[in-house]
This record gives sequence, C-alpha cells and structure tokens, in this order.
Amino acid sequence: MKGAEADLSAATYQIFNETHTLGNALRWMIMKNPKVEFCGYSAPHPSENLIQLRIQMYDGLSSLTALLTALSDLDSLFESIEKAYEASLRDDTYVRWDEKS
Amino acid sequence: MSAHASTSFDPRKHVGVLAERVTNVSSTDFPGYSPDEDFSWNLAKFKKRLRVQVKRLSSRSIEFDLIGVDASVANALRRILIAEVPAVAVEYVYVWNNTSVMVDEVFSHRLGLLPLNIDPALMEMKASATDTATDRNTIVFKLQVSCTRNAHAPKDSIDPKQLFINSEVLSSHLEWVPQGEQADVFPQLPASTNPNIVLMKLRPGQEIDMELHAIKGVGKDHAKFSAVATASYRLLPQIFLNPTKPVPPHLAEKFAGCFSPGVIRVDPRTKEISIDDEKLRTDSVSREVLRHPEFEGCVQLGRVRDHFIFHIESEGAYEPQRLLLESTRVMRQKIADLKKAAEALMAVNVDDEDVSMADA
Amino acid sequence: MNQQQGPGGGNSSFLPPPRQEMEYLCADCGAKNEIKPREPIRCRECGHRIMYKKRTKRMVQFEAR
Repeated sequence: MKGAEADLSAATYQIFNETHTLGNALRWMIMKNPKVEFCGYSAPHPSENLIQLRIQMYDGLSSLTALLTALSDLDSLFESIEKAYEASLRDDTYVRWDEKS
Repeated sequence: MSAHASTSFDPRKHVGVLAERVTNVSSTDFPGYSPDEDFSWNLAKFKKRLRVQVKRLSSRSIEFDLIGVDASVANALRRILIAEVPAVAVEYVYVWNNTSVMVDEVFSHRLGLLPLNIDPALMEMKASATDTATDRNTIVFKLQVSCTRNAHAPKDSIDPKQLFINSEVLSSHLEWVPQGEQADVFPQLPASTNPNIVLMKLRPGQEIDMELHAIKGVGKDHAKFSAVATASYRLLPQIFLNPTKPVPPHLAEKFAGCFSPGVIRVDPRTKEISIDDEKLRTDSVSREVLRHPEFEGCVQLGRVRDHFIFHIESEGAYEPQRLLLESTRVMRQKIADLKKAAEALMAVNVDDEDVSMADA
Repeated sequence: MNQQQGPGGGNSSFLPPPRQEMEYLCADCGAKNEIKPREPIRCRECGHRIMYKKRTKRMVQFEAR
C-alpha cells in the first residue's frame, strides 16, 4: 500500500478475508519482536472483508521478514497449546459428569 | 492453583476491579516496556508458563483453564469456535406439498436451525453456492408426514396426541436418504441431535412432503452453521485480603455473604476469614463487598490477566473435547495461508508501488 | 405474455387456448369445486362463496435461512 518505504522497513499490508481473529493475535506477536518500532492493525470498514496491518522497523530492517517470523512463532504458539491441551485431556484428572440435553 | 494465588495486587499480572471501573486492562509484556526486562518472544519461556488444565467434561460441554497466553490468542480461539469451526445444517428445502398452517418459508427457516449429528470432517465444503451437489458435500433427508384421525382413540379424549396420528412433526421424522457411497462412510445414522424437537403441528388432512439438503458451512455465514451453542471465557477472579486491616469478627458472616457461596471461608471459632482457592474460580465478582463502608480497605478485587477459564458447549456434531483442537486447526490453517502469500510477496521484486498477491 | 400470443400478434386473431376446468377448494367445507368461466362462484356442497386456489403440483425450492 501507499506509505511503504522502498526497503520495506515500514509498510502497510492489506490482508483479505481476515478479521480481528487473526489481526489482533498477529499484531501481538509482531510487537513481541524487539526490532519492531511500531505495529498496529485496523479493520477499516465492516463491509470490506479485509484488515490492514502496519509494521515499522528499527535499523531499516524488512517488515516482511518480521511478518514471516511472527507467523512462524504464532504457529508454534498454537502448536504448543494443542500439545498442552491434549496432554491435559489424557493425563489430568477432571470431573466427568452427565449432562442432560 | 496455589502457585497462582497471590497475596497482593500486581498491576503486571492482575486486572483491578473497582466499584465503578476496571484498571490495568491492557497487557504490558512488550519489549521496551521496562528497561530491565526482556519481553521478546521466547518459545521456551512461553511453554514454561503455558498451562492447559481440563476441569470438567460432559457429553455436551467442557470447561478448561488456559493459562499463560495473551487475550488476543484466547479471543482468537473463542472467535473461531463461534464463527469458523464448520458444521452441517439444512440449507435447501424442496417442497412438493405443504398443506399445514405454517408457510413454506417459515418452516424452511426452522428446518435450517435444526442441529444435526453429522461429523463435518466427513464432508466437503461446497466451493460456492452454485457448486453442484455431490454425495461428498450434500446430505439428503426426506420429510413426509401426514396427519390422520386415530380410530382407536379413547372416546372422551381431548388430547390431540391421542385423537390424531402425527399431530406433531418432530425432528425424528427426518428420514436420511443415503446418496452414493454415503451409507458406508457415515458411522452413525445422520439425524437431529435431539429427536424430540417439535417442528410444527398438524391436524387431520394436513400433510407435508419435502426433501432437505444439508451442507457444510461456517458460523460467520449463518448462525445455524455454528458448531457451538456457546463458547466463552472469563478471567480467574482474585480476592486480596488486606493483612493490616482484617475483617472484624462480628462482620465475618456478612463479609462472606458478599461473595458467591463457598468462596470465603469463616473459621467457626475465631471468625477468621480465608479464601477457598478451589471455589475462587466460581466467584461472580459482583463487587457487593465494595458497597459496604465497613469493609473499606479490607479487600481488593481483581482478576488474573492471563488465566482464561473457557467454557464450551457443543451443539452435538463434535464431541466437546474436540472443539478446541478444531479451533487451533483453523487458526493454524489461516497462519499457513497468510505465510504462503507473504512468501510469494517476498519472491516478487518489490518497487515502491502497490503489490498484491492472491490470498490463499 | 409474448409466448401466449400467436406469431401474428394481432388482437383480433388471438384466441385463448382451450382451458381445462379449474378445481378450487371451498374455504368453508374444503370440498373440491369445478368452476367454469362465467359461472357463479359458489360451493356445490355448502353454498359458501369463498374459494381457494389449489397449491401448485410443482416442486418449490427454498433456502433455509
């Protein structure tokens, strides 16, 4: 989008068919990167099915690389949630009860 | 649990609950927030803090704790559960005859809302609304009911259920018509999860004759495709007692009454107050205690910012313990799709013009 | 509309196709009634003057939304 640096050290990305679901989690993960100066996202209009993600980097680094790193990290985050949940389901003791429906 | 209970309010860890407002809502665990700490992403550190504990499980619902993640992650999972975990519901209704008092449109709408027991994993999603129906993406039901008088009804009966046969159209009247190899694919007979739903009432001479086509969809398209009845989380409540200002013994029972039952323990002899860590999660955080001037300064209320108590009720198609895994699967698919698009963007030569990549 | 009219299209040459007698249902007693053109609308069984048209025999499609 407009407002991007030539070296992509600052850029806004439009992500189609995505919502706050991905936007907020991804924004959080990108902000976890100490090389990121700023990251924010917005859903500009409810009738447009897209979000906009702004990333600004320190030291002229590439925002696209930061985005890719964050995506990998986010994936491993959800993978560890899956693992921990499966382990708890298998090993933990929990109340099993009979729900009438 | 006890490892979690803190004795005093920590703005890093807790959300404050005051009489008329909440404080310290946003998370502050970002690099550069404080000079002496490193908040950058570290998978090993995250795994150490992360805990998932299943608490209660029934055939319809599950309750579990998700500890050590940011609100954006917990909220993503909740949003996906409601809007993007696929489910199967009636979408097209073909009406041959309907002489009942309910008009076709209204009855079709009701049929759409019926929860079905079909495992969505066994079906394919229709690529578009105009995509042709195949035995991989469509389940067919017949609904043929006609109401007649019951010749054997007791003479003085006024009960329609005795007087007439089929006085009610029930969800159990749906009759599955296997298409192609579906009879071998589906382990359990496709039907409604509840056989006793009254769809409409009939009187003698009235009949309905229709065919229903059920397809797979997601909740963001229509709520009938939502796989969950509810999916919600709340933050673990915390009650911080002030050691320098204990609750006066004669007010101990009143103090305990300000909280949900069992949360506050009162010693029967000394009238000393303590908190039941196991019951603490059930507290409603009503803030009643903050209304009484005699308890001012005795107690501070809060919630643990990264301790999410999830409660998920399945609509019946999925076993409740499967739902979270479906949710993470959808999320990881989203991540993989965006990653592919971003890598493609990386590969093209980027001048400072707008570049667009087809999103997968 | 256009399909019903002949290729000549003139009003004078237009003849309605021979219609079969329409069956209606009495609103009061539910009996079947055949009503021919110009005939008074009246039930043969009970004399009621309100008639319902029968539902189409064709299949109708709806979206369950």
